[in-house]
Amino acid sequence: MNAPLKPKDYKSGIKPIWCPGCGHYSVLNAVAKAMAALELSRDDTVLVSGIGCSSRLPAYTDSYGFHGVHGRGLAVAQGLKVARPDLTVITLGGDGDGFSIGGNHFLHACRRNVDITYIVMDNEVYGMTKGQASPTTPIDWDSSKLTPHGPGVRPFKPAAVALATGAPWIARGYSGNPNQIARLLSEAIQHKGFSFLHVLSQCITYCPEQTDWKAIVHEREAEPLTDASEAAALFFAESGFETGLLYHQPRAPWPPQHEQQPASLDDIAERLRV
Amino acid sequence: MTGSAELQRFLAHAVELEEEAMTRYQELAEALRAHNNLMVAEFFESMAEEAAKHLAEVREAATDDALPRLAPWEFDWPAEAPESASYEAVHYRMDLRQALELALANERSAGAFYAEFAAATDDEATARLAASYADEEAEHARRLQERLNELPPTSPSQFEDDDPAHSPE
Repeated sequence: MNAPLKPKDYKSGIKPIWCPGCGHYSVLNAVAKAMAALELSRDDTVLVSGIGCSSRLPAYTDSYGFHGVHGRGLAVAQGLKVARPDLTVITLGGDGDGFSIGGNHFLHACRRNVDITYIVMDNEVYGMTKGQASPTTPIDWDSSKLTPHGPGVRPFKPAAVALATGAPWIARGYSGNPNQIARLLSEAIQHKGFSFLHVLSQCITYCPEQTDWKAIVHEREAEPLTDASEAAALFFAESGFETGLLYHQPRAPWPPQHEQQPASLDDIAERLRV
Repeated sequence: MTGSAELQRFLAHAVELEEEAMTRYQELAEALRAHNNLMVAEFFESMAEEAAKHLAEVREAATDDALPRLAPWEFDWPAEAPESASYEAVHYRMDLRQALELALANERSAGAFYAEFAAATDDEATARLAASYADEEAEHARRLQERLNELPPTSPSQFEDDDPAHSPE
């Protein structure tokens, strides 16, 4: 019998080119650890991403991967899972890719509930294009020369939007605790349906103030909520720095299982007879 | 827990701790090298080699297949293995002093973990081994502290960049 694979076996030989201090290293480690803990087959696991710093992650893993079009990781991943339900499909990206460019796909992925996992590495900034405000940037963040007085727009609330559009499994992790991300990710992968893992992943190059997250982030002690109204109240009132599995209300994934067998060619020919 | 099971559990923690430390230092060295901070990259490489030596020593005391297989979140530490440098503690412009301070904190943290394990266990063999690892970490820390004492303080302008990362538009 072969020895179980270790986390390092799930990493490719390509070395990340993220900035030193980037939280995405932590997510990469967590992905490798979760894959090893679940003993996932590298041949039957696919990581799909969009564009951005975080979307480089599939290249750094030793499984199948697709580095797709900006904001379209979810569209590719859902198509793949529906065509090949036997595969484990994980989608990854950043806050700009997922909530702005791919925002519409995010809404409908939550609503549709295909059995995939979506990890958003949220650093509240567009890092790859040198530090512009993103959908989750604080309203008064004035470090970019493009928005010298801050973006002036209230930040997007990922968990609240995911809940409102029907996501049945919503969790939040923090890059300062990769083992917690690995645990949440292993639960997310095992959940039958769409699972949304929002990770606070610091960008210390453009947002050095995010090193303060370590002192603010804390694990939510209560059980995950199962009532959508209670979860909505939490997601609108919270600071956004509570981690753990926040909401879990399973429902049947899409596509529904029909008992009806596909029609044979003869049946179709019969139906089309004029 | 029987003495032998306790020892195996301790060794599983020690292997994970040293392996994580080695991997993290290698990762940081590669990242710093990619950003042309060669002095710090070389230092992290040397720390990875140190961790690799300690890992080999721990592995000698245990055979992998006898160790309990724990998921990453099942180890007895709250977040990461104690000798793993925090990701957000590094920066592409960090100097050698800051890198040494980071490594020193990691050695002390690992030493404290081993010392606490030694103090908490009822198994004599485990306590002896854990205490010896704690002593080794203390020795590493002492050597790092000596090097640190010889270095000048970090310049107040250390993080100033003539070609800052932010978009100039």
